[in-house]
Amino acid sequence: MTFLSDIAHLLITADLWRATLEAAALLLLPALGGVISERSGVVNIAMEGMMLTGAFFAVVADLALHNPWLAALVGIAAGGFMALIHAVVSIRFRADQIVSGIAINIFAAGMTLFLVNRIYGLQDIGHVGQSNLLPYVNIPILDQIPFVGRVLFQQNVVVYAALILLVLVNIVLFRTRLGLRIRAVGEHPQAADTAGINVYAIRYGAVITSGLLSGLAGAFLAIGISNTFVPNMTDGRGYIALAAMIFGKWRPFGAFIACLIFGFGQAIYDANSVIHVSQYLLSMLPYVLTLIVLAGIVGRSIPPASDGIPYSPGTE
Amino acid sequence: MPSTVRHAAGGMAVPIGSVVFAFLVGGVIVAATGGDPLSAYAGLLCGGFGLACANGENTALQLSTTIVFFIPLIMTGVAVALPFRAGLFNIGAEGQLLAGSVACTVIGVKFNTLPAPILLPMVLVGGALAGALWAGIAGVLKATIGAHEVVTTIMLNYVAQWLVRFLIVGGPLQLPHGFSVSSPIGAGARLPTFLPNDNSLIIFGLPAGVYRVHTGLLIALAALAVFAFLLWRTSLGYEIRAVGQSQRAARYAGINVPRTIIVTMLIAGAFSGLAGAIQIAGVDHNLSDKFFNDTTGFDAIAVALLGLGSAVGILLASILFGALHAGGSVMQADAGISSSLVQVLQALILFSIAANFLRVLGGRFRRRPAAPASQAPGAALMTEAAKAPPGDGQT
Repeated sequence: MTFLSDIAHLLITADLWRATLEAAALLLLPALGGVISERSGVVNIAMEGMMLTGAFFAVVADLALHNPWLAALVGIAAGGFMALIHAVVSIRFRADQIVSGIAINIFAAGMTLFLVNRIYGLQDIGHVGQSNLLPYVNIPILDQIPFVGRVLFQQNVVVYAALILLVLVNIVLFRTRLGLRIRAVGEHPQAADTAGINVYAIRYGAVITSGLLSGLAGAFLAIGISNTFVPNMTDGRGYIALAAMIFGKWRPFGAFIACLIFGFGQAIYDANSVIHVSQYLLSMLPYVLTLIVLAGIVGRSIPPASDGIPYSPGTE
Repeated sequence: MPSTVRHAAGGMAVPIGSVVFAFLVGGVIVAATGGDPLSAYAGLLCGGFGLACANGENTALQLSTTIVFFIPLIMTGVAVALPFRAGLFNIGAEGQLLAGSVACTVIGVKFNTLPAPILLPMVLVGGALAGALWAGIAGVLKATIGAHEVVTTIMLNYVAQWLVRFLIVGGPLQLPHGFSVSSPIGAGARLPTFLPNDNSLIIFGLPAGVYRVHTGLLIALAALAVFAFLLWRTSLGYEIRAVGQSQRAARYAGINVPRTIIVTMLIAGAFSGLAGAIQIAGVDHNLSDKFFNDTTGFDAIAVALLGLGSAVGILLASILFGALHAGGSVMQADAGISSSLVQVLQALILFSIAANFLRVLGGRFRRRPAAPASQAPGAALMTEAAKAPPGDGQT
């Protein structure tokens, strides 16, 4: 009985839910990026590499400039640059988008480690000072609300940004002409082209946006949640974001719910003093859950019709 | 004869061009960060093939290291290449390899007193079955409800990775009082090395025990032969290729597409699982934290693509990547260039092959009218697979 009451006690602590939201926001950014990219018809399994690049350059910039805002911008741009490579290779050169995505991930892992060694030698890359981290901001008045205040209004700036972006992306995708065009390009590019939509422009924009969002997530991880860069520090989070995107059926809010579930698993682990489950078994959870969703047990998850197919005018 | 030569040369142009492209860009990256590309590549050459060594590295030892590295690459390369022929993209070779390693370790530890003639086949077959099971999940999901195998195999990769960590860090396989390692497998579960582990025997200036080349090499070469035979000389191979060309046409020809997909994935998984078992039985003899960062199954994607999915190509590409891996550490020691450059080179090769830079750029430079969609090998295979879930009659 004490075990059950321990669990009950854990579930009513605000800190658990606060940690859940934070972990979810970190996954949400690349997941939103994936939604945008794949809705436009470009498969993106490269969020992992884009995040890692963003994390690395955010730390490099923060160490050099001592300004977290500029550093975050550098991280965002670095993620966007990796996405640009993915876009050029898969749109201009009509490469296999999965191979390109794998190449991006390998490239990011190798290149960041290579640069760490070239720039900093074999020593540690160094730590960003507390004052140069992306800050945690309490929203006045609202943060005083019992429980809810702690969960929702005492978060990192990037968490607020991620939630705003969630609403924004949802509105753009489903309530604007731009969103209609993105979805049209992802479902039937030939028809969209005939209707006067610039398929290439939409796809470039969507892929690069996914990189910018992933870069922000990398910066959040490196100079918000952590304070340094460690090789391969994303540790599969880009792939969990991919899972969240599929779990959420290529919809922003669906992806967010998946991120909350996966983030909850992370938060449970972090509060592991109560529930003694192996951290490694918990880490499997996002992937197992996504397999279950893919198996159609919880309703099918179907990608956009032209997802992954390079567009060349005049085909079909 | 000349036309055969020209055909072969034409086939080799894309892979060789991709490797040259990667080394050129890699050289620029090294130079741009203040390194010397020539000494870096000399280090790779020395580490990979024992040639042009600056610090007197032993040629035979470097070659043997390369061979040990390329044995699992051949097997996993086949595990990626075979599904490619069926229009399936198996990026789960890593997870299947880990499943095979786990099965081999479990059996090899649990029955460690059995003699080799019984135990060795048990661990190898067990590894192959575990890999087949792991890939079979993706195959069944693809064949029955059309779940994209790329996504399912990614998920299965991570499940396998975390499973390995769970098992040996505080889990049931952890060596008592050990750290992140399992107990060693029994002597009967180990693949013999070609040279005796006898340090009084000196071969090429070093004790025979340092050369780790093991009999798994023969299994890997046999796997290549099986792969080629299966693909080109059996009706199953014909069905696999037919499904890869067009699922719809294959269906009209009376081929059971879902069954072919499942069988293809099972066989591919068996190759990967066997690779994992061989790695334990031939090299490591226990499951350790080394496997947390194993990338063999991902390198296999580059191997299969660079080898253009043919047996000879896979062998050559495996040798190249084995040599790069063996060369990385020598490059780091001799030239002071981080061995992670090898990953960068590998990524550049993948980009180049996938995008087919040479052909697309060549078309532009020769001012031909817009080149027809010259798809990369992977893309051509993928698009058909992406179009319709198998068994989906309406399409």
